[in-house]
Amino acid sequence: MRALDDVSVSFEAGEIHGVVGENGAGKSTLMKILGGVQHATSGVIKLDGRPIILNGVRDALRRGIAMIHQELNLVDELTVAENVFLGREATKSGMLDTAKMVEATEAALELLHASFPASEKVGRLSIAGKQLVEIAKAIAVEASILIMDEPTAVLSEPEAVSLFAMIGRLKDRGTTVLYISHRLTEVCEICDRITVLRDGSRIATIDAHGASPSELARLMVGRPIQDFYPAKTQCPTGKLVFELRGFCGVSFSVHRGEILGLAGLVGAGRTELAESIIGARPSGKGELYLDGQLCRIRNPKDAMKLGIAYVSEDRKRLGLHVTLGVVQNISLANLRAYGNVVLNSQKERESARAWEQELDIRAGDFEGPIMNVSGGNQQKIAIAKWLETKPKVLILDEPTRGVDVGAKREMYRLIQRLAHEGMACIVISSELPEIIGLCHRTIIMRDGRVAGELSNDAMSEEAVMHLAAGVEAA
Amino acid sequence: MKRANVLSEFGALFALALLFIINVVTRGANFLQVENLRNLISQDAAVGVIAVGMTLVIIAGGIDLSVGSMTAMCGAVAILLLNKLTAFGAGVNGAILLAAVGAIVCGALAGLFNGLVISYGRVAPFVVTLGGLAGFRSIALVLGSGGEIRSQVSGLQDFGFGGIPIPFVKNAGGGPVLFYWSAVIFIGIALLAGFVLNKTRFGRYVIAVGANPRASEYSAINIQTVRLAVYTVLGGFVGLASVLVAARMNSVGTGSVGLYYELDAIAAVVIGGTSLRGGKGRIWGTVVGVLLLTLISNMITAYHIDTNWQGLVRGIVILVAVLIQRGRKENDSF
Repeated sequence: MRALDDVSVSFEAGEIHGVVGENGAGKSTLMKILGGVQHATSGVIKLDGRPIILNGVRDALRRGIAMIHQELNLVDELTVAENVFLGREATKSGMLDTAKMVEATEAALELLHASFPASEKVGRLSIAGKQLVEIAKAIAVEASILIMDEPTAVLSEPEAVSLFAMIGRLKDRGTTVLYISHRLTEVCEICDRITVLRDGSRIATIDAHGASPSELARLMVGRPIQDFYPAKTQCPTGKLVFELRGFCGVSFSVHRGEILGLAGLVGAGRTELAESIIGARPSGKGELYLDGQLCRIRNPKDAMKLGIAYVSEDRKRLGLHVTLGVVQNISLANLRAYGNVVLNSQKERESARAWEQELDIRAGDFEGPIMNVSGGNQQKIAIAKWLETKPKVLILDEPTRGVDVGAKREMYRLIQRLAHEGMACIVISSELPEIIGLCHRTIIMRDGRVAGELSNDAMSEEAVMHLAAGVEAA
Repeated sequence: MKRANVLSEFGALFALALLFIINVVTRGANFLQVENLRNLISQDAAVGVIAVGMTLVIIAGGIDLSVGSMTAMCGAVAILLLNKLTAFGAGVNGAILLAAVGAIVCGALAGLFNGLVISYGRVAPFVVTLGGLAGFRSIALVLGSGGEIRSQVSGLQDFGFGGIPIPFVKNAGGGPVLFYWSAVIFIGIALLAGFVLNKTRFGRYVIAVGANPRASEYSAINIQTVRLAVYTVLGGFVGLASVLVAARMNSVGTGSVGLYYELDAIAAVVIGGTSLRGGKGRIWGTVVGVLLLTLISNMITAYHIDTNWQGLVRGIVILVAVLIQRGRKENDSF
């Protein structure tokens, strides 16, 4: 398959160059070629005017091209300095020169305004901290080109803001930053120029000053996107379906047909709360009510039987079996419906086909592993798996992470439809526009506790942020 | 399907076919004798039964190093039980049946023990079953006072050398050629396990748990139960295999029976294309692996090669099989 078709694009020294496009548009392939991960079948790369051939990541790094992947490549058991120098350790007469490595790492960390020392174990750092370590790595090799693949996907808003400031400082030092992101607002804000890819071709390279997210979105999908979020329905006030009373120190309730947002910074304990609800981690004290009945959930199987479904944020590790096919993934949580002993594979396949139709799942080969299916379609498969179990309460953890613009919009419509059909939906999201555009009501969490609740009318990015960060509204 | 894929998918089968043809060409009628072909299937039937169970364990993401020692322990239990029962005046066939059931129960309990420590004690399967490798052998030696336990019932060996007459085939003396019960059982167990793995809910859970245990737990599967079950099933198969061995020898040498069975079984599984990382595998591949290993040792005897070379040849076959099947580079973890 051709992922990229005859793309020509130039990046200027010291600019922040955004690269946007829907999933499958060829962003990642282009960046992999530039980062030395993959070879181009045709065409040349010129660096400072001279054609170069990149033989692998190390070669790219040697030429000053560093890449920071979405999935960070760090060793948790090693210290920051050890990670920064991993694979190119400084030595003095055959022994590790620890002092020199620590010194160089400290210098890089200072430039990044990092709050942790070079001797800290990486496993103890937050995701934002780990990202800084990756950037420190690039600084330590004095990279002149830094490729960042969706760096803010895993960050909370304040963390993202400090990342942008840091990118600005790198730019001032003359570093070129290639910035890939699905978040169009931030791309418009921080970039100098933006290249839009669609179906493996370069559609346009535009000046970011004066560009608007809607313009970018239009270029990306080739048509204007009106009303990105579907119109909200009336806030349901009917029957309470789900209620927590002091559960893990948290209390809130969800009505039938309601979409409840669960906002907060990364690390506020939202995912942990969801995992406790379904019994995947110990919950300690507190009570959980379903349809007014007190329930005790010891494991995800109990939760499934009671009608509580959780679609994990970590699709590849917790949400799906990427080595199995579409059919096997969709039926897995509800396998008993296809036979107690011998499975009715005919029925299993038909049911998967029905979901494929209903959710417009495009997974290509129906049998093969779903490893290489796009993020949006993987997410639909994960949701189909849980809709199979006919849940009363559906908890969606970062449902649009790593999902392209078109699929995001479909996801919002799907969530709204499910709620309309009476399902109680809890949406955990770090994207404030998503929370505000989609949810009837929002609970904001901080440090594992409820920091506040905002009704539909009171929701604004500022109000949510103030509660999430623990700052009094001015 | 690309050429590389065909090779990794059916590599073991090609290798078996190739060796088969080499044998036909060089040994001709001698090799193609019905007795010889029958022996190929029945010779290592005990290892075959164990390897089939091992396939399930490995697909579920585990491994069991204790199966060889477990064979000795179960075999010792079977013969002691048989001798006791007949001493109390039980009928021969009934006593053999009860002794076989005893061996299977003994194996299932040993497997259950492994499974309990692995799934609830959260100890790595390698370590737990390494303990079993030492422990079960020791129990066997204690039962046999360090030596051989002989069956006092000649009927046991009648079973070991009994079977179904192969139609239209007579041996040199004009008598029928029997398809041994051990081969029948090996084939039956393989068919059963293949059905369970590919057609049942339990089989799907085995694959899912091996492919991604945490995602399986999140998908409302009780992963502890699945792990417990595969080790127990393997244990039961080991008990059954021990009866096949004991029936052949009419005795169990507690120090020697089952030695290196764990390695042979794991080798057959790996040669057959089941991934040691779990989540992917096939029973028919394991059966091909067992036949391939048997054919190799058969050839070493037939060509009068010094048997000391046998280990090296097996080692090379295992490595080549894994190298061919390791798959594309991008799926490798390093």
